[in-house]
Amino acid sequence: MSIKRWARLLGGLAVVLFLGAAPGIVSAFMVQFLINLFMMAILAESWNIIGGFTGYASFGNVAFFGIGAYTTGVLLTRVGFPFALALPAGGAVAMLFAAAVGFPILRLKGHYFAIATLGTAEMMREVVYNLEFTGAGTGLVMPILRTPLTFFYLMLAILAAVTLVNWWLSQSRFGYGLVAIREDEDAAAVMGINTPLYKTVAFALSGAFAGLAGGVYAYWITFIDPDAVFKVIITVQLIIMAVFGGTGTVLGPLLGALVLSAVSELLATQLATLAELFYGLIIILVVLFMPKGLSDLIRQGGLSLRYFARNLREYRI
Amino acid sequence: MLLLQVLVNGILLGGLYGIMAIGMSLIWGVMNIVNIAHGPLIMLGAYVTFWTFTLWGWDPFLSLPVTILSLFVYGYLLQRFILNLIVRAQLFLTLLITFGVEVVMVNLARIFWSSDLRQVTPSYAAANFAVGGLTIPYVRLWVFVTTVVVSVIFLLLMERTRLGRAIRATAEELRAARLTGIPVGHIYAVTYGLGAALAGAAGAMWGMLFPITPIMGGALTLKSFVVAVLGGLGTMMGAIVGGLVLGLAESFSSTYIGPTYPNAISFGLLVLILIFRPTGVLGRGEGR
Repeated sequence: MSIKRWARLLGGLAVVLFLGAAPGIVSAFMVQFLINLFMMAILAESWNIIGGFTGYASFGNVAFFGIGAYTTGVLLTRVGFPFALALPAGGAVAMLFAAAVGFPILRLKGHYFAIATLGTAEMMREVVYNLEFTGAGTGLVMPILRTPLTFFYLMLAILAAVTLVNWWLSQSRFGYGLVAIREDEDAAAVMGINTPLYKTVAFALSGAFAGLAGGVYAYWITFIDPDAVFKVIITVQLIIMAVFGGTGTVLGPLLGALVLSAVSELLATQLATLAELFYGLIIILVVLFMPKGLSDLIRQGGLSLRYFARNLREYRI
Repeated sequence: MLLLQVLVNGILLGGLYGIMAIGMSLIWGVMNIVNIAHGPLIMLGAYVTFWTFTLWGWDPFLSLPVTILSLFVYGYLLQRFILNLIVRAQLFLTLLITFGVEVVMVNLARIFWSSDLRQVTPSYAAANFAVGGLTIPYVRLWVFVTTVVVSVIFLLLMERTRLGRAIRATAEELRAARLTGIPVGHIYAVTYGLGAALAGAAGAMWGMLFPITPIMGGALTLKSFVVAVLGGLGTMMGAIVGGLVLGLAESFSSTYIGPTYPNAISFGLLVLILIFRPTGVLGRGEGR
């Protein structure tokens, strides 16, 4: 590895250590906010593996989150597993589910893929709604853990791991293979890339991290029901974060999650009922004026009218 | 007898799904936009009818032209001044912007009409008649007849007029259409306006059968998706057939399997169709 890479890794490590010390400094409210922020960042970064690098716009990633949450929840409450076992199981089941579903669905392209994943997530919600051992519509209640910092460090560790995976993708043979699939799938196949395998592995990786986040979420919030953990809006939120930050980049989704979480938290406290309305307006403005995300904005040299005008012209009819 | 009743219920509901999906399919087929704001357009149509009904006492069927026209204008302006700016971007960007429009519309509806359940109840709302043991509510029958009439008018517009030809040409090959002098920006806006008008018509009639709320659109967007894909994108007849299939599937599954399962079944159906026949039941061309 070159010196530059080592420097980046060390920089990342420093940020993680700094964040690790945060609970000692900031308020309890801030810690809760950070846990939620980490969770959204994990989801955005895990979506980035399939949506950003591979170019398959999955609209069903919330299914993996929900499956992770429910696997962990059921193992904790019904089977009596310790959390240390239930959490990895949640990630593993979500990963297997992603691989099993991904194998047929990843043959679809564009809108068809997007909708098939959306349909899968909605179907999972309905299935969980109708199953007895998941508590059906009434949901599952977890035992309460009295050390909230556990969740903070777990989310932080998972976030560090998924960011590391994204970083690895940005400079490994496997990652280049995914980008090749995004740019031109037929050409990638001709070059000898086993495209079905690559896509399925990317989807499974994406599912595993979303599942882990779901598992931690379940124990953190202590109550899950199908509507809360299979909500379509979660998928949309994490895609917006990834797009806002910059898809297919390592730090973009993280940046997007940071900025948008802060904005929506601010909106929620300042505007209360109008918060959602403004969130919608922000989505429209972001797509119109900076469709390539924050990382492109930074690379192009910051805010300027010309940058926005160029973006407006680019996709206009 | 029950079987026949379930069949009739499914067909009557299916007509409404069909007209929703024609609009969705049109917007998707011509501009390659998956219109997440489709459900809210249906909602808006329902509220326009609700207003003309409660404020001025207009009959909901007779006020249909007003609803259709207002939704057309709304859709035209939305596409012309906002969506046209981003229409050539990647798929998830157009998806996202229509999602943003959805969020804004739903929240504005909350402000204008509050979150209360509203209903359009003309004097004949509860009336029905019996034919050979079947019970058929008048409203459902008229809704079905109206959807058929509106669909036929729309099909004629698309197939027989210069405007329809221009829309189809634009869908086929954007650059060539522009070269032959078709104002594509205007045509895109008209297309979205037509899709919105159909959604509005569906909403006007939906409001006579089911309660109206600001959040009613979400589920209807998904159903319009399912139907549009079931039938095959861009084919208008396909959307109608898809609507009937979904209506029948829901009607049968809620009677014979259980009332909590219809959504799971429609989404399961969707995923299976996508995997095995991605171009839809009546579709052609390539989907993978």
